[in-house]
Amino acid sequence: MTITLTHYLVLGAILFAIGIYGAMTRKNAVGILMALELVFNAVNINLVAADRYMSSGTFTGQLFVLFIIAAAAAESVLGLAIILAIYRARIVINADEMDLMKH
Amino acid sequence: MAEAVLFYAFGAIMIASALGVVTSPNVFHCALYLALALFAVAAEYVLLNAYFLAAIQILVYIGAVVVLALFVISLTKEITGSEVKLTRRRTVPAILVSALTACLIIVALLKAGIPAGAPAPGESTAALGRHLFGDFVLPFEVVSVLLLSALLAAIAIVSKDPETGK
Repeated sequence: MTITLTHYLVLGAILFAIGIYGAMTRKNAVGILMALELVFNAVNINLVAADRYMSSGTFTGQLFVLFIIAAAAAESVLGLAIILAIYRARIVINADEMDLMKH
Repeated sequence: MAEAVLFYAFGAIMIASALGVVTSPNVFHCALYLALALFAVAAEYVLLNAYFLAAIQILVYIGAVVVLALFVISLTKEITGSEVKLTRRRTVPAILVSALTACLIIVALLKAGIPAGAPAPGESTAALGRHLFGDFVLPFEVVSVLLLSALLAAIAIVSKDPETGK
């Protein structure tokens, strides 16, 4: 049997749903960030697979994934820096308890 | 045939370790599961002939992002220790929502009638390089500025304020 585009897209959908689940259930901000990385990777799998099976040698999907990886790296650096700063200021890391801007 | 075996093997590793990322009670283990899941994604990239992306995935995601997450977890040890409860109680609605999302996407995919065409042959690294330094050179430079500003912002956020000493 051969692997088609649908196989990769279904795999991406499952990974996406797992990432969504993690982002909804995690209390820890680092855990939420890691679940979001799973979501990014699900999207990246979809893009690379669609690029391989549907584009005619232009590789635009893979270029898009390169830029997504760079943006995700910047995002996780900033997210982790903010988590560390809040931790040092307030000793909280649970997303529910970060309410500095509420008061 | 070999491609199918590898696809299912790495897909199973990816899904199992992704479940570990979102359910493991120890956040340190979550980060290690994340490294395994990202490695499986890199293996799927290899199966898709995207060798450069597979290398970048390992270098940037496993080498930088996961290691950074591990550093932050180690620096916030009192709060991320194994005795701290990591998940909220609303797991049943979350399972419902994510399972329904997956079902929706998969049913839509199966109904969409995606053509089962043959994959494009050949590997892409040389073409990617030509695109990146040819017609995509402006976004490439913008991304490098984005990374530089993220780096500076991260240093500014976590560095101590010289006036208050905090």
